[in-house]
Amino acid sequence: MPETVVAIRNLSKIYAQGEIQVTALNDVSLDIEMGEFLTLMGPSGSGKSTLLHIIAGIDRPTSGRCLVQNLDVTGLNESELADWRNQNVGFVFQTFNLIPVLTAFENVELPLLLTQLDRSERRRRVQTALDIVGLADRMHHLPKQLSGGQEQRVAIARALVTDPRLVVADEPTGNLDSHSAQEVLMVLQQLSREAGKTVIMVTHDPKAAAYGSRSIHLEKGELLKDEAVTAR
Amino acid sequence: MTLGTFIIKNALRNKRRATLSILSVAVSLFLLVMLQVALRELTNPINDEGSSLRIIVRNKVSLAQPLPRRQLQVIERIQGVAAVSPFTFYGGLYKGDEKFTSFAQFAVDPERCPLLISDAKIPKEQYEAWVADRTSCILGRLTAERFGLKVGDRMQFTGQIYPADLEFMVAGIYHGTADDRNLMFHQSYLDESLGNPGTVGTWWVRAASIDEAPMVTERINNAFANSSAEVRAESERAFVLGFVSMWANIKTLITGISVVVVFALLLVTVSTMSMAIRERFRELAILKALGFRRRELFAFILAESCGLAMAGALIGAGGAWVVFHSIDIQKATNGLFILFEVTPQMMGLAFAVATALGVLSSVGPMLAVARTSVVQGLRTLD
Ligand SMILES: Nc1ncnc2c1ncn2[C@@H]1O[C@H](COP(=O)(O)OP(=O)(O)O)[C@@H](O)[C@H]1O
Ligand SMILES: [Mg+2]
Repeated sequence: MPETVVAIRNLSKIYAQGEIQVTALNDVSLDIEMGEFLTLMGPSGSGKSTLLHIIAGIDRPTSGRCLVQNLDVTGLNESELADWRNQNVGFVFQTFNLIPVLTAFENVELPLLLTQLDRSERRRRVQTALDIVGLADRMHHLPKQLSGGQEQRVAIARALVTDPRLVVADEPTGNLDSHSAQEVLMVLQQLSREAGKTVIMVTHDPKAAAYGSRSIHLEKGELLKDEAVTAR
Repeated sequence: MTLGTFIIKNALRNKRRATLSILSVAVSLFLLVMLQVALRELTNPINDEGSSLRIIVRNKVSLAQPLPRRQLQVIERIQGVAAVSPFTFYGGLYKGDEKFTSFAQFAVDPERCPLLISDAKIPKEQYEAWVADRTSCILGRLTAERFGLKVGDRMQFTGQIYPADLEFMVAGIYHGTADDRNLMFHQSYLDESLGNPGTVGTWWVRAASIDEAPMVTERINNAFANSSAEVRAESERAFVLGFVSMWANIKTLITGISVVVVFALLLVTVSTMSMAIRERFRELAILKALGFRRRELFAFILAESCGLAMAGALIGAGGAWVVFHSIDIQKATNGLFILFEVTPQMMGLAFAVATALGVLSSVGPMLAVARTSVVQGLRTLD
């Protein structure tokens, strides 16, 4: 019986914009298991990012609960959430969001500055993370000296370096050519398969979704389809 | 990498802007310190005990009107007066100076002077030589050094206020007063060359104690009320400040300029720094997502803006300090300014202004960071 890492119960998110109310998520319930590579699909504006943000603890639902490893994330305060994110979640964004003045190594090291780890332990972890994404030889390069795909892989290394349970990625291949996208997707797939990470990825590209183990379709904030991906 | 290196790398990421921020703070604080120095020079020339005890008695009509010599006996007997001497501004042009004389010459009664010039340090025999020789003078060390004068040298003056050209023999050189430039000579010598007019420029009075000084001033004023030569007695400090009454306006002006400088600096710095932070809004959101807490981001912002402001202060105020300590202001200003120096208070002021700048310019970005959630920050570009 596989372990449930994320349990979402009756989650709703409503944005009130003056008179108009926008329902971004409408009563979504979902379980995500350890080691799954879940892809969130659906048209633009269907609530994919909103769902991902709530799971990752950077946004709060209007109602409903989101338990990650039996901890109700929606009940944490700002600074508890910050600590929780640092320890449990790795983020990968569409735009790579590396700090331009820091080298690949330093960008990856950034989340570790919040931990108690000493210099050599930090170094070891950063190297491991860069090894996993295949960029150990680029660690002293600045983001502008890297290709888009390499930048995104550095971002993945940064997401991995704290050894989180959960890796969330919001359209990580949206800005990449197909070759670079493939590299990034392989790394994410490898994370779920070999390192046992739970990976949740938003995408609207069916080819990208094919790398996942399970695919969920959202439309107008509601869960439509939930299917295992067979063509792996 | 440490958090410190992270902050420094961030602060210096836009080299040109960092340089401009630092320079604008530096230039403004340099100016601020200069203005403070000038203000101090102009408005606070004498501030010692002797100065508080000394009273200048002048003609009520104007400083240019002389006072009758016979007033001496009256003043002498006023309660609380410890010493009194004539004090006449001769205002001659010294032969060694070209256009204007860089030091004042006063005619006094040397025998009545010891108490009045108690702060001046002068060898006893030089003082006695001065008292003994009617045509001799004593000279402040600064002036003596400036013209390379020694005891025994002679000095020639062309009268500019009085029709009397005088020549003095330097009997002594003093130092230790607030302004070691002045020359003092015998009133009787001046009287004689003017045909004994029986008048003096002003009276120089020393009160017996600081507490009594205001009463003494009042008593002197009252003593000559309704006489043919009414007087105005005031403390030497008030007199000096009044003598340069235009400086009072300058003080307002300088204070005004200082305020404007600081204010302009504030606007410039605050806007550049806020811009620098605002540009990185998304990055700050990312840092938040990575687990950095609000207070850590506040610390980053504060450290960065205070760091830049402090660098500016070090260059600007530190630069002013170095400049004023390495330049001989007296020489540079032809002896017009003597006190020019940067006091610890001025440095304190400059660094306080810099700190305030750093703090103030981080307020805006901090508020923005506090108000913006990670998601909002991320959506600014997505
Ligand atoms: N801050 C907000 N205020 C109002 N509406 C919002 C806000 N953020 C998202 N929405 C709306 O919520 C819906 C879902 O958005 P999102 O989760 O970003 O969709 P997706 O990632 O699937 O494109 C959209 O209709 C969007 O316009
Ligand atoms: Mg989205």
